[in-house]
Amino acid sequence: MTETKPVICYKCQKELVPTKTYLSYLGHSFSADILKCPECGEVYIPEELAKSRIAEVEMQLEDK
Amino acid sequence: MPDNFERAAPTTESVCPECLARIPAARVVRDGDVYLEKTCPQHGDFRTIIWRGADSFKTWVKLKTPSFPKNPFTEVKDGCPFDCGLCAEHRQHTCSVLLEVTQRCDLHCPVCFADSGNDDSADWSMTEVEDWFKRLSEQSTSFNIQISGGEPCVRDDLPEIIRLGRSYGFKYFQLNTNGLRLARDPAYLAELKAAGLSTVFLQFDGTRDEIYKTIRGRGLLDQKLKTIEHCKEQGIGVVLVPTLIPNVNADDIGNIIRLALEHMPIVRGVHFQPISYFGRYPQSPADEARITIPEVIREIETQTDGMIRADVFCPPGCENALCSFHGNFVLMPNGDLKAITQHKEDACGCQPIIAEEGAARTRAFVAENWSAPTLITQLPVFGGQSLGEWDVFLERKRTHSFFVSGMAFQDAWNLDLERLRDCCIHIASRDGRLVPFCAYNLTDSSGRSLYRNAESKRFASRFSILQNQEILESNGE
Repeated sequence: MTETKPVICYKCQKELVPTKTYLSYLGHSFSADILKCPECGEVYIPEELAKSRIAEVEMQLEDK
Repeated sequence: MPDNFERAAPTTESVCPECLARIPAARVVRDGDVYLEKTCPQHGDFRTIIWRGADSFKTWVKLKTPSFPKNPFTEVKDGCPFDCGLCAEHRQHTCSVLLEVTQRCDLHCPVCFADSGNDDSADWSMTEVEDWFKRLSEQSTSFNIQISGGEPCVRDDLPEIIRLGRSYGFKYFQLNTNGLRLARDPAYLAELKAAGLSTVFLQFDGTRDEIYKTIRGRGLLDQKLKTIEHCKEQGIGVVLVPTLIPNVNADDIGNIIRLALEHMPIVRGVHFQPISYFGRYPQSPADEARITIPEVIREIETQTDGMIRADVFCPPGCENALCSFHGNFVLMPNGDLKAITQHKEDACGCQPIIAEEGAARTRAFVAENWSAPTLITQLPVFGGQSLGEWDVFLERKRTHSFFVSGMAFQDAWNLDLERLRDCCIHIASRDGRLVPFCAYNLTDSSGRSLYRNAESKRFASRFSILQNQEILESNGE
């Protein structure tokens, strides 16, 4: 899957740009380049990412 | 959330170490530690340390809703622990089944659950093994199978036993071994691997030969390391299993963990077993000869210089909370050992979990994390956008996960029948019972057991009736 179309912040009407962002879950924090609004800081997580890697992170951290 | 003193009645039940009669018992705090205290009308008072540190005892809770056997093999007649089989009052499903396929052993340790020796008449026939696989498969094929003994590797036909088990649908096979044969006979290990062996559960008491000389009668470190090497060549996961004894190897906990980390990822973790006293003891074992779960956890933190913190260890979701602890980790590429468990004293266990679901989760955890790790080339490939450092974590979780855990077995002095009823590790007996581990190995102070052999079974039925009558009489009933 390639995400070529620009993603625009609905509130600020600015194009989101990949930005190093710390994502925390159950006390663990790692960085990733995530699309972020340069104005308000809102981030965009594509559905594909939520359903694959992020779901996998949840599963791996929540087992026994 | 109610703590352990508020939740459970301070009283439970135990047995008399002298005659194994069932008697009332209480968990009592004295000078900040927790003791099991009980009185046999015939043989007097007994007090045994069960938890050093009453504060941590209070919060070591994992509430469970019991799951009773769907098809109990034995009827409730004399009550716990005399009806094991499992009976209808047992509160947890089977997680692991131990098949003691031989009573022979090529070591003669002072410390032995199984009271093993040289008698090859005690080997199970292949028909007996098959009968059990068939019987178990009719219940479920999800049980983890532990091939045990004696020393199971004295049998040349172990690969055949594993293949037979696989043919009945079982998927996880663990070999409980001292590793001596695996050290000298890599071709045998290759056969076991080809048959479908998942994990070598390796008796590993320490990183110094003096420890083996004390516990096992001779230096064995080189052979243990050779076994690990051979498992690495074959791609079989290894779990190091130290029997912890105060003043013998309790000071080696940190070194054992460091050695395990050096042999990652084929060494998957360390499973500590504080010593328990089965067999003949004319006098009660001294409290100083026992090390309890919270002490092991504190020693892990101290002896690893804080690399592993005490607060990452959690009570189990399968067996009784007081029976074990575990912490899970991922070794990151920079050498950082990242804990992925955390004991939240005020947050975990607010809602009881269903015991059966805890057993299922533990079976799955063991099958995945005690077997050899996934090769990087076999990892699923995610398409699309990267998740940066989280991708590295996910990959390392598959290839470099590590655990430190421990299980405190019970003997005639510290046996708590509430814990026994929650047991999920069951030994398949030759007379067709599934007996909780600590009941199967239970012996009175003269070394007589309830379940381990035919002579003991006769003893069990005789004394349970006699002793129950004596208790009733002493209570004036």
